[in-house]
Amino acid sequence: MATLFQSAASPLLHRSSSSCCSWLSASGGGHLKLKGEDAVRRHGRLVVKAEDERNGSAAGEVVAKPRKASPLQRGGTLSGEEAEGKDPSPAALLANKKPLMSLGGGMFEDARWKNGTWDIQQFTNSGRVDWDAVIDAARRKWLEENPEASSNSDPVVFDTSTVPWWAWVKRFHLPEAEILNGRAAMIGYFAAYLIDSATGVGLVDQTNSFFGKLLLFIAVTGVLLIRKNEDANNLKTLASEWTFYDKQWQATWKNEEQHPVSEKEIKL
Amino acid sequence: MVVVRIFAGMNSRKLEGRKLRVAVVGGGPAGGSAAETLAKGGIETFLFERKLDNAKPCGGAIPLCMVGEFDLPQDIIDRKVTKMKMISPSNVAVDVGRTLNENEYIGMVRREVLDSYMRDRAASFGAQVINGLYLRMEAPKDEDSPYVLHYTRYDGKSKVGTPSKLEVDAIVGADGANSRVAKDIDAGDYDYAIAFQERIKIPDEKMAYYENLAEMYVGADVSPDFYGWVFPKCDHVAVGTGTVIDKPAIKKYQTATRNRAKDKIEGGKIIRVEAHPIPEHPRPRRVKDRVALVGDAAGYVTKCSGEGIYFAAKSGRMCAEAIVEGSAFGQRMINEADLRTYLRKWDNKYWPTYKVLDILQKLFYRSNPAREAFVEMCADEYVQKMTFDSYLYKTVVPGNPLDDLKLAVNTIGSLVRAYALRNESLKATA
Repeated sequence: MATLFQSAASPLLHRSSSSCCSWLSASGGGHLKLKGEDAVRRHGRLVVKAEDERNGSAAGEVVAKPRKASPLQRGGTLSGEEAEGKDPSPAALLANKKPLMSLGGGMFEDARWKNGTWDIQQFTNSGRVDWDAVIDAARRKWLEENPEASSNSDPVVFDTSTVPWWAWVKRFHLPEAEILNGRAAMIGYFAAYLIDSATGVGLVDQTNSFFGKLLLFIAVTGVLLIRKNEDANNLKTLASEWTFYDKQWQATWKNEEQHPVSEKEIKL
Repeated sequence: MVVVRIFAGMNSRKLEGRKLRVAVVGGGPAGGSAAETLAKGGIETFLFERKLDNAKPCGGAIPLCMVGEFDLPQDIIDRKVTKMKMISPSNVAVDVGRTLNENEYIGMVRREVLDSYMRDRAASFGAQVINGLYLRMEAPKDEDSPYVLHYTRYDGKSKVGTPSKLEVDAIVGADGANSRVAKDIDAGDYDYAIAFQERIKIPDEKMAYYENLAEMYVGADVSPDFYGWVFPKCDHVAVGTGTVIDKPAIKKYQTATRNRAKDKIEGGKIIRVEAHPIPEHPRPRRVKDRVALVGDAAGYVTKCSGEGIYFAAKSGRMCAEAIVEGSAFGQRMINEADLRTYLRKWDNKYWPTYKVLDILQKLFYRSNPAREAFVEMCADEYVQKMTFDSYLYKTVVPGNPLDDLKLAVNTIGSLVRAYALRNESLKATA
C-alpha cells in the first residue's frame, strides 16, 4: 500500500520541483518533507496525507485531484543524451554526467591568441605559415567545455576564412578523397571481375554499355553519400526531417479531405 | 486596391433583421486586430479578455511593416533597435544592421501597451470589449443555430466573476498558446518551446550600450535548439533563452546565457522572471465549423527567430476579412468554407517564409560548428541585407542569382570549415 502511495507521490514530487521554479515570479513553491512512509506536502491547495502502512487499510488518502503535467513535462521533450540536441557538443554530453558545467572557470589564454584572433606571425617558421597548426590550435574545443563571457573590450574576430582554401583542401579533402577513391577502386575491380567471370563481358565492353555506366554512377554516388554505416540511417532521418514541417502545416487540410465542405468562390 | 466579388454559396441564408454576431476570444494582438476588422466590416463583435492590464511575457519585437500595416502610433514603440549582435559559441561577435537605412528599425514594445491600444481601437470601431474569462462553448444544433459561449464576467471590482453566457454565430479563437477554444474544437496539440526570460535592471552606463542594440547568443551551452537573447526594453533588459527538446534543464541554459552576457549585465538586479510557451508549428486542425483559430492559438510562430506578434495580428485580420467577405458585411450566415478561405490565403501567402525559417533553423541551430558558420555568414553584407529585408517587410525577396550562388558557396564553405575544425579537435582528444 505504501509503495502505491510512493509511486503516486513521486510524480507529484517531480511536478512540484519543476513547476514551482519557473512559473512563479515570486518565490512560491512547495516545501517537501519525506520521512519514511509518512509524507506531508503542502503546495498551494494540494495536500496529501498518508498513513503508516502498519495501520493496514487505506494507506494513502489523496485529498486533491491529480495535477495536470506542467508545461515543462509536456510536449516534445526528449531526455538523456537526445535532449542535448541533434549534434551536441562533447561538453554538453559530458554535462549529463558531471553535475554542473564548469561555467566561467577561467579565460582562454594562449600566447598566440592576440586581439581576438590567432596571430599568424607566430605560426610562421622560416617564412612559411604552418596552417595546420592554426587549424589545430584548439580554442573552440576549450571554449566548448568552459564557455566564456563575451566581452566588448576584448572582441573575438577570428574568421575561419583566414586560413586559405588550399590549406583546408590539403588537410581534409585530400585524405578523404584518397580513402573514397580507394574504396571505389576496390569495389569496382571486384565487381568487374565477377561480372566478367559470370557473363564473359570484358572491362572495356562493360564500360561501353549503358547498364554498366548506370551501375558505375550508382556506385560512385553511393560511396559519396554513404561512407559509414550510420550514414544510411542519417540520410533516412534527413529525408523525413525535410518534409516533417510541411506535413504539420498540411494537417489541417487533411481534415478537410475527410469532411469536405461546400466551396465558396472568392476572387481577389 | 483589392476588389472582392462574392459568390455566396447555396447554404448560407440571409440573416433576418440582425447582423452576424462573432465572438473573439482573447484580447492580444490577434484578437484586437480581428475585432477591429470585424467591427469595421459591420459585424456585431464581442472581444473577450480576462485581464485587461495583462503584461504578457514576450520578446516584444515587431517588424517595421507592422507599424505601417496596422497604423501603430510611434509612441507605442519604446525603442527602435537598429543593430543586432550575433555571438557564436566561441564568442565571435558580428554586428548586423549595417545595411539598414535610417527609417528602418525593429520596434520593441511593451505588450500591455500594444494590446490595450489595439483593443481600444477595436472598441472605437464598435466592438464590445468584455472583461471575461472564456470557459467553454456549446456546439450549435444545426447550420443556422448559434454557438452558446459560457464565460465568467468580471466587473472590475471583485475578484469573483459572474457566470454568463452569450449566443454568437461564429467564434475566433485568439486566446494564445494555451488556448481553450482550441481544446474545445479538438484542434490537437503542437510541439512547443519553452521561453524563459529574466528582466534585469542594469546600471545606466551598461544600459547605454543597449540603447538600440539587441544581442543574440548561440551555443550548445545556451540552448540545444534555440538561442539566448538580450533585448532592451523600456528601462531594463530582458535576458532569456528557450528550448524545445530539453525543457526541464531551462534553468541551466538561463544561467549559461547570463554568464555569456556577464560583462555587460554586471551589477544588474533581476526584477521579474517569466516563462511562456512558444508554438513550434500549427495545430493539426485550425478551423472547425464556424470556429477558427488565429495567432498563437493556431501556432503561427516562425521557427529560427520565434517571431509571433506580427503573424498573430495579421492572421487575426485575415480571418476577420474572410468572415466579413463570406457574410457579405454581416448580412449572411457563414460556414466552414469561409473560414477555410482564410486558411488557404494564409498558407499561400506565408508558407514560403515559414519554410525558409524552418530550413535555417534545421541547418544552423544543429550543432556548434553550424552555429559558428551561421555567425560567420551573418558578417556578410548580402546576407544582412536579405535577412533584414525579409524580416522587416515579410516577403521572401529573391535576390540577384549571381549573389545567391556566391552566398551558397560561402555557406557551404563556412559549414565545411567549421565542421572540419570540430572534427579535428575531436580527433586530437581521441
